[in-house]
Amino acid sequence: MARAEVNRAHAAADTPGPDRAPTPALLEVEDLSVFFAVEHGRLLRAVDEVSFSVGRGEVLGLVGESGCGKTTVAKCIVGQITPTTGTLLFEGRKLGSQRRAEDRRAIQMVFQDPYSSLNPRMSVRQVLRELLRVHHLVPSSGIERRCRELMDLVGLPADALDGLPSQFSGGQRQRIAIARALAVEPQVIIADEPVSALDVSVQATILRLFEDLNSRLGLTIVFISHNLAVVRRLSGRVAVMYLGRIVEEGDRESVFSDPRHPYTRALLGAAPRLHQTELARPSVKGEPPSPIDIPPGCPFHPRCPRAEAVCSADRPVLESVQTGAWHLAACHFRHEAALNAQGAMPLPEPEETSESAEEAP
Amino acid sequence: MTPLLEVEDLVVEVRHQSSAFRAVNGVSFSLERGAALAIVGESGSGKSLTLRAIMGLLPNSGRLLSGRVVVGGVELDPGARGYGRGHRQRERMSIVFQDALSALNPVATVGHQIAEAPRHVLGLSRHASRQRAMELLRQVGIPDPERRYGAFPHELSGGTRQRVMIAIALSSDPAILLCDEPTTALDVTIQTQILALLADLRAERGLSLVFVTHDLGVVGQVAEELAVMYTGRLVETGPTAQVLAAPRHPYTAGLLAAALDVDTPDREPLAIPGSLPDPRQLPSGCTFHPRCALATLECATTDVVLEPVGPLRQAACLHSDQLALLQAAPSRG
Repeated sequence: MARAEVNRAHAAADTPGPDRAPTPALLEVEDLSVFFAVEHGRLLRAVDEVSFSVGRGEVLGLVGESGCGKTTVAKCIVGQITPTTGTLLFEGRKLGSQRRAEDRRAIQMVFQDPYSSLNPRMSVRQVLRELLRVHHLVPSSGIERRCRELMDLVGLPADALDGLPSQFSGGQRQRIAIARALAVEPQVIIADEPVSALDVSVQATILRLFEDLNSRLGLTIVFISHNLAVVRRLSGRVAVMYLGRIVEEGDRESVFSDPRHPYTRALLGAAPRLHQTELARPSVKGEPPSPIDIPPGCPFHPRCPRAEAVCSADRPVLESVQTGAWHLAACHFRHEAALNAQGAMPLPEPEETSESAEEAP
Repeated sequence: MTPLLEVEDLVVEVRHQSSAFRAVNGVSFSLERGAALAIVGESGSGKSLTLRAIMGLLPNSGRLLSGRVVVGGVELDPGARGYGRGHRQRERMSIVFQDALSALNPVATVGHQIAEAPRHVLGLSRHASRQRAMELLRQVGIPDPERRYGAFPHELSGGTRQRVMIAIALSSDPAILLCDEPTTALDVTIQTQILALLADLRAERGLSLVFVTHDLGVVGQVAEELAVMYTGRLVETGPTAQVLAAPRHPYTAGLLAAALDVDTPDREPLAIPGSLPDPRQLPSGCTFHPRCALATLECATTDVVLEPVGPLRQAACLHSDQLALLQAAPSRG
């Protein structure tokens, strides 16, 4: 894939040491925590010391199950939630909760549900005109032309401008939502489960659109999803979240073909597979604990097939697994490649073995 | 041996504002004792309404125009009054819904809800039905049943609620379990647990399963038989592995090409052109023809029906043979 190669070229030029992010950062998230006060004076730790960076033109996939904090991270980045602690840097500048219009424009969000995130009483043209006028992005004589350009960019005919959201299908509405995000000429798009509400037959076209926006316009994308197949397809780099923390992060192929955190292995083992006719036996027990009551040590240890005594005592930090590639995991046993013993997940056979072989040091 | 469940020519009409359309249009299938059938389709294909019609649980907007449901040789009339409480439960069919939170009674404890059928359908004593409910809680993998018996649905997690709903479905000792997207709202690690539970229950109790889903990635794990549904009709049926490996209807082939698979990220997903048609204005002939690459003039004028396309397999397509040739020629992705 061209995009992945570009990302790797970036990485090579910048000589990634094991402790450095692989691309020069456009957006940096440092020690971000979001706590909510709940009843009885207790704290719900939605996001707990999350750090990552996203390079210009990069696609970062943020994966995790419901309640892991991925959407809360997204809302912090766009400024909808003020983090409890931690800093957000955009082009090296600090982003507070009071943002300049320019910074608000630079980071735009696309939501999961195209049915509820569009105003049902405004035509597509009205939505786009308003944005273009408010932000003084084009002279008023050029607004109509820009509207048509935006339609073209997201693959809709120009006469779609006259329609109301209810007249469009789910896939078309998601295109309109993307056009709305693009209208203010953002540098980063935060896409929160943008294809999860769509039927399989149209998901592919929306994914293609994101791929195009990334490769043609050089748009930086943070792609949030619970769907590993979608994330693997689109992302150059992946971060896996569990209970408000990043438990594994790295280049796409490092994480998917050599996962080092047992939770990542469990997610991969449980992912739906088209031609699988054998039942995938679950490798993790129970359900994620409440974020009000996070287990001591490694938060995954009560469900982990690999857990030992150390796991309930010491909280592992996100550290390099030292395979040469950009790959971090928060596990005491991160240096163990997946053996099909010790209750580790039997790994799926990755198809592109040749590609991963090339990546190996 | 006669099949355990036979469904014949099910037609459901849905009224929406001033218009009416057939959301399920002539669905027929049969299920052997202990077998499992997956019905797969996109939103609006009529897969959920098919299950609801069999259970006699159509929403107010839906009406059963025709259809026979035969369970164990006994013919039922799902359109009849009192079907739900009487015939259906006597013939031992239960249903599990996608959204456990709205399917469960929010003001009754889960134990009470599980004990209801043993008490009122099977006629057990109060004490015996309570014991029965405890046992069911244990069987569906809920730890500490004594404590959970008195819990209300809102106190439980999504996965546990789905287990409770399965326990309720099992409480009347069914022979057939109808599952309407029971894992769609769950996370994947919980989904595998529920799928494993259903597989274990099948093995232990000889349960027969009809499993409705939109996810081609799970059908292979739950059912040996697959039916693909589009605009209210079955367009392809056959053994799951065979259908997935070599689909004989262009819609099935399209769904497979459009789906992403975590193991093959570099395979380009191909969307099916166009979008699902308006159910009130379905295309003539084969309803898939405007989106189909193999469509000819004939497809717009001929009413296609399921026809055998090999041992155990059926497809509703005039060009099924051509699709088979296409698959045989280039190497499949």
